Amino acid sequence: MSVLASAALAAHTGKLDLAIRHVLAGLGHGIHAGRERGAGVEFSEYRAYAPGDEWRRVDWKLMARADRYYVREAERDSHVAVWLVLDATASMLEPSRSVEGLDKLGMARLLLGCAGAIAQRQGDAFGLLVCQGERAHFTPAARGPRQLQRVLAQLERVDAAGTLPAAEVLRASLHFARAPSVICVASDFLDWPSPLSEAMLRLRGMRHDVRALCLQTEAEIAAEFDAATAWRDPEGDNRLFRFGRDTRAAYARRRDEHFEMVAKQCRAHDIPYVAAPIERAPGETLRAWLRKPGGRP
Amino acid sequence: MNSLWWWALPVLILPILWHRQKREQTKAAPLATARFLPPSSPVQLRVWRWQDLFLLLLRCLLLATLIAWLADPVLPWRSDSVLVVPGADPAFVDRQLRDAGLAEARRIDLPNRDAYRWLHEHEREFDPKARLLLVGDVAMPAVLPRLQHAVVVRPQALPVAASEHHVAVYGERVEAWRKLFAALEGTQRYVLDAQAGPKTELLIWDTPQPPSSGLRAPLWWVIDASAFPELAKAPQVDGLRYVDTPRGRLWSAAWLPPHDAAAARTMFETWQRLHAGVQPHTAPPQAPLVDARAPAGPFGGALRDALSAALLVLFALERIATHVRRR
Repeated sequence: MSVLASAALAAHTGKLDLAIRHVLAGLGHGIHAGRERGAGVEFSEYRAYAPGDEWRRVDWKLMARADRYYVREAERDSHVAVWLVLDATASMLEPSRSVEGLDKLGMARLLLGCAGAIAQRQGDAFGLLVCQGERAHFTPAARGPRQLQRVLAQLERVDAAGTLPAAEVLRASLHFARAPSVICVASDFLDWPSPLSEAMLRLRGMRHDVRALCLQTEAEIAAEFDAATAWRDPEGDNRLFRFGRDTRAAYARRRDEHFEMVAKQCRAHDIPYVAAPIERAPGETLRAWLRKPGGRP
Repeated sequence: MNSLWWWALPVLILPILWHRQKREQTKAAPLATARFLPPSSPVQLRVWRWQDLFLLLLRCLLLATLIAWLADPVLPWRSDSVLVVPGADPAFVDRQLRDAGLAEARRIDLPNRDAYRWLHEHEREFDPKARLLLVGDVAMPAVLPRLQHAVVVRPQALPVAASEHHVAVYGERVEAWRKLFAALEGTQRYVLDAQAGPKTELLIWDTPQPPSSGLRAPLWWVIDASAFPELAKAPQVDGLRYVDTPRGRLWSAAWLPPHDAAAARTMFETWQRLHAGVQPHTAPPQAPLVDARAPAGPFGGALRDALSAALLVLFALERIATHVRRR
């Protein structure tokens, strides 16, 4: 399957969990190479089966005895919390100009869902923060398949609108991170500095692992847009912009300057920064995003 | 000439162009990275869509009606027709109708004997394939007319109708005048009266006294000019002095009174020519030249009233619609 077809498939899959399973299946086991090796290394307790549990974790002997499904729970020593931060402002509705039906929000949703699913498999607690329309929707961190369903349902419900919440709102929402956390931020980072960037730098200063994923489109990278259409900024006022041969160079230069500045700041604060076009296969983007510079995921 | 106005019809393009919509400012696609573009002044493009369609329709109709009013179109609404000169014998007309196979044709009664003139003026009203039959005492034209339609002419010469003319004679020589007019009588009878009445056509003033102020007649023959001082300064043509007064027209000439037969003939012919007019001869049964490119007559205006009314109504509607739109 070609790279583009994979992205298009992900875009057209209505069900988020199905798309996530598809992406993770394509990844193989590369991303799982951590200290957690599957579920149930040291047996802890049984619990009742809940939809979403992996079948291989069902204890079949116990099922034969009790005629009910039970799942073996392992003792875990993971105290890492994963925070999924989704920028759902209006600019995230930017569609891919080459793949029909694919936009930044959909790709961000899919990749954050994948990150959540990986965290769930590893037994980590994970939570969700959606920045949308000047507000922050907060889902507290928890473990287990039910939490994954909760988070996926939240992600599917997200509708991009408005601009980023104010800095105070974000600070109030992100006070959680006392325990060591991984904070996965998916955004287009068109606003920088912004309340979100400030929060990222602040959390990084608190020695959390902040990972920035900057979603772009191939048209943006190549600076190719329809010259006949009048454009407007979805988060700005109603001013009109026109893309032409004369403005192309200026556009490319200012855009490159902006993202260079973003990357530089991230580097200065030791934040892994991945810029990826949404047309790229989600598995590759995910691998690049979650890979630790040192090699450990 | 009027039909050249039809070339003004392209004027209708103007309101159609004026009513084209300007491109909507708000119609812009969102682009997340638009902030990196230099802002541009919005270019106003016109799109091929129209606003105020009702007003546009009214204005186009108004212009088209105005052009039609100026072009003065004549619809060829008359089909096969029989043109009957007044005074034609009904039996003769019926016979000619049957002979020509136009018994079903529409019958048009002409206003006078000058049928060719009427036909020339109204020729655009006739269907190009219409057959025309001209019946009666048609006046003979000076030259063979050129018409766009083939016309069959069935002339019928009518005898000159007997008529009676009243002449009033004032003076001593009433008997001499009576004898003179008796010699002139043919189909026309002359009645000599002693006093002028309302029927009097000619008044002969054969006495040196001035006439009473109430005396009126269309034409006066003045034998003794001393009674009418205004004749002294009157213009003169071929020995005839004439002047128009409130009493009527005055004539004074060397042949009044006539002293010989030649003078009497001159007197009578001059009178007939200038007052009774020349009666045209009956046209011969020859067909006029048929020429499709013959110029059409000047007469029109068949639709002018309807077009004027339509113009007025459309103008009022257009003003109202414009006013309503502005509010």
